Amino acid sequence: MDFLQLVKQRFARDRVGLIFAILLLAIYLVALTAQWIMPYDPMKMDLRAVFNPPTFAHPLGTDQFGRDVLSRVILATQVSARVATAAAVIGLTIGTALGMYVGYVGGLAESIVMRLTDIMLIFPTIMLAIVVVTIAGPSEWGVIIALAVSWIPPFVRLSRAVTLSVREELYVEASIAVGSGRWQVLRHHIWPNISSPIIVQGTLTLPIVVLSASSLSFLGLGVQPPTPEWGQMLNAAKDFLRTSPYLLIGPGAALFIFVLASNMVGDALQETLNPRLKQRK
Amino acid sequence: MPLFGGHARDTVLLRLVVSRLLFIIPAGLLLITFLFALFHIIPGDPALLLAGDNAPAHIVEAIREAYGFNKPLPVQYMTYMLNVLQGDLGVSNFSRDPVVSLIIPRILNTALLAFWAMMFAMVVSLSFGCVSAMYWNTGVDKAITVVSLIGICTPIFVSGLLGIFFFSVKLGVLPTGGFNSWQSLILPVITLGAVEAALLTRMVRSTMINALNQDYITTARAKGVAELVVVFKHALRNALLPIITLFGLGFGNTLGGSVVIETIFTWPGLGRLMIESILTRDLPVTQGALLFFAMTFIVVNLIVDVLYAYVDPRISYD
Repeated sequence: MDFLQLVKQRFARDRVGLIFAILLLAIYLVALTAQWIMPYDPMKMDLRAVFNPPTFAHPLGTDQFGRDVLSRVILATQVSARVATAAAVIGLTIGTALGMYVGYVGGLAESIVMRLTDIMLIFPTIMLAIVVVTIAGPSEWGVIIALAVSWIPPFVRLSRAVTLSVREELYVEASIAVGSGRWQVLRHHIWPNISSPIIVQGTLTLPIVVLSASSLSFLGLGVQPPTPEWGQMLNAAKDFLRTSPYLLIGPGAALFIFVLASNMVGDALQETLNPRLKQRK
Repeated sequence: MPLFGGHARDTVLLRLVVSRLLFIIPAGLLLITFLFALFHIIPGDPALLLAGDNAPAHIVEAIREAYGFNKPLPVQYMTYMLNVLQGDLGVSNFSRDPVVSLIIPRILNTALLAFWAMMFAMVVSLSFGCVSAMYWNTGVDKAITVVSLIGICTPIFVSGLLGIFFFSVKLGVLPTGGFNSWQSLILPVITLGAVEAALLTRMVRSTMINALNQDYITTARAKGVAELVVVFKHALRNALLPIITLFGLGFGNTLGGSVVIETIFTWPGLGRLMIESILTRDLPVTQGALLFFAMTFIVVNLIVDVLYAYVDPRISYD
């Protein structure tokens, strides 16, 4: 039974997982339709209405420039979803391609790549990201590139491991014997085995990438104002904690929900792939 | 007299330690090279960057002379390398203080923060992880799992800001930041430690569950060994191997997280220095800070490798 069918089966039974999957899709929907559903212009300043606590008109209040926080949170959803997904997908694509290739051909290329991978894995994500931002300057693209680069090594490792085990299978040997080219073998035999673990790992990567991206923006190294981003909004909120603590609610809750939903979905997918055996005590 | 519990193991482990120690030297040199490249990849004339956009031409020229930017690249590289190896990391662009004098006190502060946060995380994760595994699938386990899940999904800066809000603003029992007393340590350490603890609890739990499902545990129980002994003497010892690796990785995480914590709590540490230097384009300080951080990660990595080999009973006889 292939992975997609397993996933559908699983979500049919696992109500909790299903709820989070729907939540995650809802967040992406918000991100896609942000421009249409925002109640106010997120960039419009109204200096007569600064620091309004949450009211019916402004459910999440207004910030230090009088901008509606809810609209900014919605736009920030689009920004964060875009940054995180781009970084994860780029890292995944490059890492998997690299891992598959070197896992299959082996030799000097493999040694060099794996050595580089090991070295990169010594340093946590944030350090690598900081280095990239130092070179490229704080910006949205800087963050995407930084995070994508720091996520290449785990995917290289994963896809190489799977490739190594599949490479020894009899059907691969047979395929080569009848004259399949390298590309054909990779596409028809190696890839189907890799796709599921990679997708699962990608889904598990997403929450960490969102947190990293928000941390970078929080530090001022990421998305620059006036473009709203959850971490960046929290950075601004920290200066007004005494007087306007409600500024924490919008971006804080949004971040929490996104991370929670993607974590739960990732867990559910992982369990579908590697079911934990029913354990007796 | 055997050091590591067996003459054969001694040789293997000693060889490992020496080879890893030797690895540090080329790693360090590579790092310094990398940092040099960093400074020169950054677009823009370095002399102009130092002088500022509006400086008159002769000032820029003078800076170029003084820093040696007009010399060929290999010469600059050698000068930089030799300087670093002698402990001269240059001076700050703004304060003209030697970078080393800025960094050293900060390192101690960050080390203190990271150390206590890690202690907190290890104690909490070991205890709650084991309890969770022992009472697998009961109410206690589920509660712990939910709490650690919330901990994982809450960004550090959110929990940090919430902590400041409740304990400093509302209750006034703890300072909002800085490093003035031992009370200043509490919030940053707990915030930083809690995140790591949440992550580690989950992993300790699954490692212990795996360990407790092994056959030798069933045997021990059948023999009538007390449950606590079973868990802590038998299962934990065997789970120690992956747990140590996790703690090692966790320390790297903690150092990374310290950067954010130091910003929230205005902690006078290396992380905050680094961020500020990046934002003010004070490149010598950024280089110095990155150098120290990177070396720390390499050293931690080495220690974890050696510890792992030490605890692993399979590494012994040839």
